[in-house]
Amino acid sequence: MSETPAPRQPQPPAESFEPYEEHRGIPLPVYWIAIALALWGAVMLYHNAKSVSIGHAQRSAMASELPKAANMSGADIFVARCSTCHQDNASGVAGAVPPLDGSPFVAARPDVVAQILLHGINGPIRVGDRSFDGHMPDFASVLSDNEIARVASYVRKRWGGAKQDIDAGFVEAQRARFAGKGAWQGGAEIAATLDPGLAPQPAYTGSPLPTIQPATLTLIQNGRGDLWSCAACHGAQGDGHDDVPRLAGLPDGYIARQLADFAAGERDDDTMTMVAKQLSPAEMADIGRYYGSLPTPSNARPVLGGDLARGEQLALEGDWNKGVPACFSCHGPSGFGVAPGFPSIAAQHAPYVARQLDAWKGGTRTNSPLSMMQKIAAKLSDGDIRAVADYLATLPPVPAPRARPKEPDDARPVAATTR
Amino acid sequence: MPDQSPPPPAEPTDAQPRQGNAARTAILAVGGGAVLFVLGAIAFDTGLIHHEDKADKQAAKTGAVSFQPPPMSAIPDGPEGESIRRGMAIFTNTGTNAKQFVGNGLSCQNCHLDAGRKPDSAPMWAAWVTYPLYRSKNKQINTMEARIKGCFTYSMNAQDSPAGKAPPLGDQIYTDLQTYFHWLAKGAPTDTKLKGAGFIKLKETKLGYDPGRGAQVFQQNCASCHGADGQGQRDINGRVVFPPLWGPHSYNWGAGMASVKNAAAFVKKNMPLGQPDRLTDQQAWDVAAFIDSQERPKDPRQTGTIAETAKKNHGGKDYYGKTVNGHVLGTGTPNSGPLS
Repeated sequence: MSETPAPRQPQPPAESFEPYEEHRGIPLPVYWIAIALALWGAVMLYHNAKSVSIGHAQRSAMASELPKAANMSGADIFVARCSTCHQDNASGVAGAVPPLDGSPFVAARPDVVAQILLHGINGPIRVGDRSFDGHMPDFASVLSDNEIARVASYVRKRWGGAKQDIDAGFVEAQRARFAGKGAWQGGAEIAATLDPGLAPQPAYTGSPLPTIQPATLTLIQNGRGDLWSCAACHGAQGDGHDDVPRLAGLPDGYIARQLADFAAGERDDDTMTMVAKQLSPAEMADIGRYYGSLPTPSNARPVLGGDLARGEQLALEGDWNKGVPACFSCHGPSGFGVAPGFPSIAAQHAPYVARQLDAWKGGTRTNSPLSMMQKIAAKLSDGDIRAVADYLATLPPVPAPRARPKEPDDARPVAATTR
Repeated sequence: MPDQSPPPPAEPTDAQPRQGNAARTAILAVGGGAVLFVLGAIAFDTGLIHHEDKADKQAAKTGAVSFQPPPMSAIPDGPEGESIRRGMAIFTNTGTNAKQFVGNGLSCQNCHLDAGRKPDSAPMWAAWVTYPLYRSKNKQINTMEARIKGCFTYSMNAQDSPAGKAPPLGDQIYTDLQTYFHWLAKGAPTDTKLKGAGFIKLKETKLGYDPGRGAQVFQQNCASCHGADGQGQRDINGRVVFPPLWGPHSYNWGAGMASVKNAAAFVKKNMPLGQPDRLTDQQAWDVAAFIDSQERPKDPRQTGTIAETAKKNHGGKDYYGKTVNGHVLGTGTPNSGPLS
C-alpha cells in the first residue's frame, strides 16, 4: 500500500481477469422490433378486450331476449320443434313419419292435436292410405300450455283447414283430462277415446315390457350392501339432473356398454368405475333394459347461457366450414339416437353434455367408435359447446320404444339373389 | 495518496455524450418501432401477410376459385323462394317429396352432403355453373335437367319406384331442384373451375384395389355406422339415418357411385363423416372396391345380356359383369320398391 506502485506487478490474469465486453448499445433494429411487437400486442389486447366485451353485451342482450322466446309464433315453434320429423312442408318422411298435410288427425276435433302433443304416440297409426309405426315424443314437459296452443293452432289452420285458434285455457283443460296417462297407443286408442271418425286404425298389439330380474330391480332402487343404488343419483325414473345424465330412453345396449367401459377403465369416472366393477354383465344388460324402456318426462333446461340458435344450427346442419357434421346426422333426425351405438341426446342435461364434450375435447373421454366424438368436439369452441348442450336440453324426450326397433325385414344382404 | 485524489479526468467528459446518446437512441428506437408497426399494420390490412393453407395453394395451382353458397337463412320470400324450398325438400327428403320416382332408401343428400353444399362431395353450386355439359356416359350434351334425370334413373333406382321410371322431362320436380341449385350458386362464376367441385381426382395406387383388403377397412371404419352388412341403420321410427351401401335399397349398377373411382374419391374426402383423409388413398380404393363389388339393383340400361351391357356401358373400371365369389355381378336384386 505504502510502497510505490513502481514495480506494478502485472496482475495475475488467471485470478482476477473477468471477461468483459465493451459497453455497446443494443442495436437499434432490436429496439424497433421489440417496440413494434409491444405495440402490436397492445393493439391485439385492446381488440380482444373489445370483442370480449361485445360478446358479453351480446350474451346479456340475448339473455334479456330469452323471455321473448316464450312468445315465439306457432310457425316458429313448428320449425323448431316439429319439422325435424314432420318436415318444414309437413310432408313427413315416407315409411317413417306421418305427414301432417292432409292428415285426418290434424283436421279432427281440436282436442286430438292437443292430446297428441301432450302425450305423444307409441303404436301403429294409419294416416291416409299408409300405416306407420308411430313413435312421437310428448311435449308436455318442454312446452307450456300457451306454446302448445300456438303450435296446435298453427298446424290445424295451416294443414287441417281449421278456422279457429285454440287457447291456453283449452290446453290446460286437456292437460288435466288424462293426467298421468302415458303415450297414446297408436291411432286405434286415439280414435276410440277422442274421435271415432278417425277409425279404422291398425290395432295396438302391444309389445312386452322388458323383463328385469327382481334382484336387479332391487339393486337399481335400493342398492346392494355398500353398493349404492342407481336411483340415488340418476333417479328411479332415470331423469338425472345437472351433470348426472338422464338415462331414460337411452339405447339399452349403450347403457350396458358404458357400464362395461367404466368397469374396464375405458371410461373415466371414479364413482361410476367403483359401481360398475361390482356389476355382472347380466346386471349391466338388465339395468340398460330398465332405464332404456322408461318414457320419463324431461326435466332438462338450457342453463348454460348458450346461444340456442347456434345450438340448433350445430344439431341440425353442423358447421362444415369447421368440418363439424350435424349432431343429428348420426344421433338420429331428432336426437332420438340410433341403437345401440349412438345414444339419444334429446332432453339430456346441458351440464352433462357440456362436460362430456369437454372431456372428448380434452382427451379424458375416448370410448367413441373411430374417435368420432373426439374429432368433432376438438373443433367446437366453448361457446359452441354451451350452445349445443343448451339446445339439446330444450328438446322433447325420446319416446322410449316399448319393443325393439323394427328390424327392416326386407333389408337382408343379397349376395346371390337373382332378379 | 496522490493517485486517489485526482478523479480520473475522463469520467465526466464521458458522461455527457452518453446521456445524449441514450436520448437519441430512445428516440430512434421508438420512432423506428412505430414505423415498423405501422408498416406491419398496413401490410396486414392490405392482405400482404395472410395465412395461406395447402388447399389454397392447391387451388391457386389449378386456377380453381373458392366459392361459398348463401346460408339457408337467405332463401328469399315469394314464388322463387317457395320453389327453392320445394327443391331443397326434394333434395333432402327425396323418398317423400319425389316418392313416385324413388325406388330405394336413398336421398340426394346421402352423397351430396350438407344438402348439396359441401365441397368435394359433388356440391350443387359447382354443378349448376358447369352444365350444359358433354358427358361420355351418354355421348351427348346434357342439360342440367337431363343430368338430374340420370340421377333418378340410376342413383335413386327409379325402375323400382311406383312410377317405374324417372320423372319425365319438364316435370315440376326438375324445375324446383334447378331453382334450388341456381340459388345455391348465387354469385358463382359460370364455367369456371370452382374449388371443391365434383369429387377429387384420387391417384391410382401401385397396389391397385382389392375387395378383400377393402372388407377389413370396411369392418374397421364403416361398419359402426353403415352396419356390418352395409345395409345402414334406421331410428326408432324406421327412418334411414345411415344409408344402405348395397343391396336392394341402394343405388343401382348404372349409378356414378358404382364406379370404384368415384366411390374412392368420395370416401377419401368425406368418410367417416367429418374426418376427411382419415383413410389412406390405398384404403379408400380398397373399401370402394369392396362396396362396389356387392350386388345391387340391376343396370336399367340392360336390354340383352349382362356381358353386352358391360361392354356397351361399363368401361371396365367397375365390377359390373365380373364374377366375384362365383357370382356374376350385375344380376340385380329383387324389386323391393321404395322403403315402407
